[in-house]
Amino acid sequence: MELDQALQTFIVESRELLEAMEESLLGLESSPDDHDAINAIFRAAHTIKGSGGLFGLDGIVAFTHVVENVLDRVRSGEVPINGDLIALLLSCRDYIGMLVDQIAADSAAQPDKETEATGIMLLNQLRTYQAGEKKQSPISATAQSQPRMAVVPPPDGTVESDHWHISLRFGHDVLRNGMDPLAFIRYLDNMGKIIHVVTLPDAMPLAPDMDPESCYLGFEIDFHGDGVDKTTIEGVFEFVRDDCTLRILPPHSRIEEYTRLINELPEDKIHLGELLVNSGSLTRKELDEALHLQQILRAEYSQEAAPKLGDILVEQRVVQPELVDAALGKQKLAKENKAQESKLIRIQADKLDQLINLVGEMVIAGAATSLLAQRTCDPALHEATSTLSRLVEEIRDSALQLRMVQIGETFNRFNRVVRDVSKDLGKDIGLSICGAETELDKSVVEKIGDPLMHLVRNSMDHGIEKAEVRRQRGKPAKGTVHLNAYHESGSIVVEVGDDGGGLNREKIFAKALEKGLITASQNLSDVEVYGLIFEAWFSTAEQVTNLSGRGVGMDVVRRNIEALRGTVEIDSREGIGTTVKIRLPLTLAIIDGFLMGVGSASYVVPLDMVMECIELDEAERRESRESNYINLRGTVLPFIRLRDHFRERSKVSRRENIVVVQYAGQKAGLVVDELMGEFQTVIKPLGKLFGNLKGISGSTILGSGEVALILDVPALIQRAASRDAQLLACSQAEQIVA
Amino acid sequence: MAKTVMIVDDSASLRQVVGIALRGAGYEVIEGCDGKDALSKLNGQKVHLVISDVNMPNMDGITFVKNLKQIPAYKFTPVIMLTTESQEGKKQEGQAAGARAWVVKPFQPAQMLAAVSKLVMP
Repeated sequence: MELDQALQTFIVESRELLEAMEESLLGLESSPDDHDAINAIFRAAHTIKGSGGLFGLDGIVAFTHVVENVLDRVRSGEVPINGDLIALLLSCRDYIGMLVDQIAADSAAQPDKETEATGIMLLNQLRTYQAGEKKQSPISATAQSQPRMAVVPPPDGTVESDHWHISLRFGHDVLRNGMDPLAFIRYLDNMGKIIHVVTLPDAMPLAPDMDPESCYLGFEIDFHGDGVDKTTIEGVFEFVRDDCTLRILPPHSRIEEYTRLINELPEDKIHLGELLVNSGSLTRKELDEALHLQQILRAEYSQEAAPKLGDILVEQRVVQPELVDAALGKQKLAKENKAQESKLIRIQADKLDQLINLVGEMVIAGAATSLLAQRTCDPALHEATSTLSRLVEEIRDSALQLRMVQIGETFNRFNRVVRDVSKDLGKDIGLSICGAETELDKSVVEKIGDPLMHLVRNSMDHGIEKAEVRRQRGKPAKGTVHLNAYHESGSIVVEVGDDGGGLNREKIFAKALEKGLITASQNLSDVEVYGLIFEAWFSTAEQVTNLSGRGVGMDVVRRNIEALRGTVEIDSREGIGTTVKIRLPLTLAIIDGFLMGVGSASYVVPLDMVMECIELDEAERRESRESNYINLRGTVLPFIRLRDHFRERSKVSRRENIVVVQYAGQKAGLVVDELMGEFQTVIKPLGKLFGNLKGISGSTILGSGEVALILDVPALIQRAASRDAQLLACSQAEQIVA
Repeated sequence: MAKTVMIVDDSASLRQVVGIALRGAGYEVIEGCDGKDALSKLNGQKVHLVISDVNMPNMDGITFVKNLKQIPAYKFTPVIMLTTESQEGKKQEGQAAGARAWVVKPFQPAQMLAAVSKLVMP
């Protein structure tokens, strides 16, 4: 074999070189400035590396590459030669000799462990001399240059009407540089099939002006190649790239493919050129040229009048306009996404809390100023303070808005949960989401995740029946879990619903009896019975699954929601489904309140809960003194006299009013003396001492500096309604007795 | 008629392998072991392409190409220079001397063949 012979030559040659290297190294010990010796050593390493590569001896190439690098630095004077370095280089020489010997013994042999270890040790020592090493290793350099050089397999001869179009204009000097234009075109033909060549002699001057050594020709080539990309074609003209103008236009059938590629690119690339280069429709060189041209044009015209990169690329005929459009579309998308990103600012939550606290103080101070202004009876001052208070109100709203986030993100997390859990359970369950754009306080959103998770899992596990049961009941085999959110009179309602079997009232009742939570004589409404499942250790599931049924959880759900000053209730219809409604306060800091006075004290209720205010006339006052309910346009409205409720001892005022409040679908009246109107209320929590106080949820400070209590409307309504029921029960009992 | 390629390199084994690859593709190959040797071997003989290493004893590649281009018979002869990655500066010198094509060492025989056939068909 000829190649074996060549390898033998390599081995002999390498040994000679290594010997020469040793000699020169030893010579350097006595005369370290001998440049010829240093050059000889460098050349030896260089030659061994170069030839070794030809035989694919990567081990030798990789090692010699490092040696060569160090020697290059020695040659340029960056690294001084000394005894240590000479000793190290001698060891390296011996090591290369060892590798060569191994190859001589068996050309396919891999170095053994011991040899390898020696190599690594030497390389580590060499590295200390090798500060400016380039990142590219020789191996990767080879790998990089390979695709450029790779010979493309010949086409299978299929003819298509769709071709690459290559425009070539050779520079005048191309012949003088030893390049033959025809050779490249012939080489191109090797990679595929040249369909058509048009030779353009337009640049040819008249005979007397013509220089026979110059090239005046241009070519328009239609080329067909299977599996050829733009970079490969550009690679053909690699050696004349600087001496010619080259335009490669991909075939039309490729446009679709490129468009797809452009659209599939990750969106972080925002430059048009980068997009096109990444899709392969534009080569790096073409982009550089176009950018350069743009630079020149910018210098000529003003900044705005200069043509856009896309236009230049199309005009230069390196890409089709369709592709520029696709890339522009993509770019716009990326830009929009980026813009969206930049619209968001991350700030620490406690900074926001501090701001809202300050806004709260400002609201109070503003109220005080307004009050003073009113007292002075100065119309100009009055005007100024009312403008101020309107602005304060707007600032308050904006500040609170900062904390509001959409619940959609929390809801969307459940898509995955529902998918996974339904797989685990072997049920086919889908998720439907409504009101994802409903906003609520960030701190509430954070805390509502866990209770929702529990409720959703419960619905899927216990609520939705197995497919066969569903079919028997005439329901679609696929079950659905609904998540819904909406605003309702000053609070936000989050619903978790399912179209499953519903709750079994009797079963719950029996279980509650068994646990001693209720007595058999108790007359409970449906909602009350369903509410029992929130009691600790309550579970009616016969089988405990790994998801739910242990009786822990539902009480935790309720506790979590109550901690947010919210309430939870269940609506269920057997065979049709269950809906759990979570009602949460909209905000936790500042609200629009409705201020009213009883005797000398002031009270606030959230304005959103106030339905209407009616005057309690003399007749009704007398009539309702005992009964505590009135006839409001045909419906019974139970009410609470705040004067009695809070044991107000001051003189009864001449006029009384009823404020009708509503919460969770129930209405009640609050009888007060005075209506003082809308009031911006900064909620101040009550101290621990008052934590258990029923009917009061907080306090606020009035403009005058007085404290007003914020009424807990849900609790008051509850009280009014239950007392109503008690009264009803009493009167029924009286009737029976009578 | 087969095209003639001259390979100039101080490594005999490299010359041998390139020779095998090019002869296999239908080229005729003549060898020179350094610039001086190559010039004396050419001596007016027709060659279609010259491949030359940069780093050689006696006469380096750049000087060799400069001298070669002075000879009218070789004015239009294309030259491929063999370089290593670390020789960017040499590339400019080579271009000034009249070389346009470059192949980076170490290379595979197939790569060399591709580069040669871009310039001269066998």
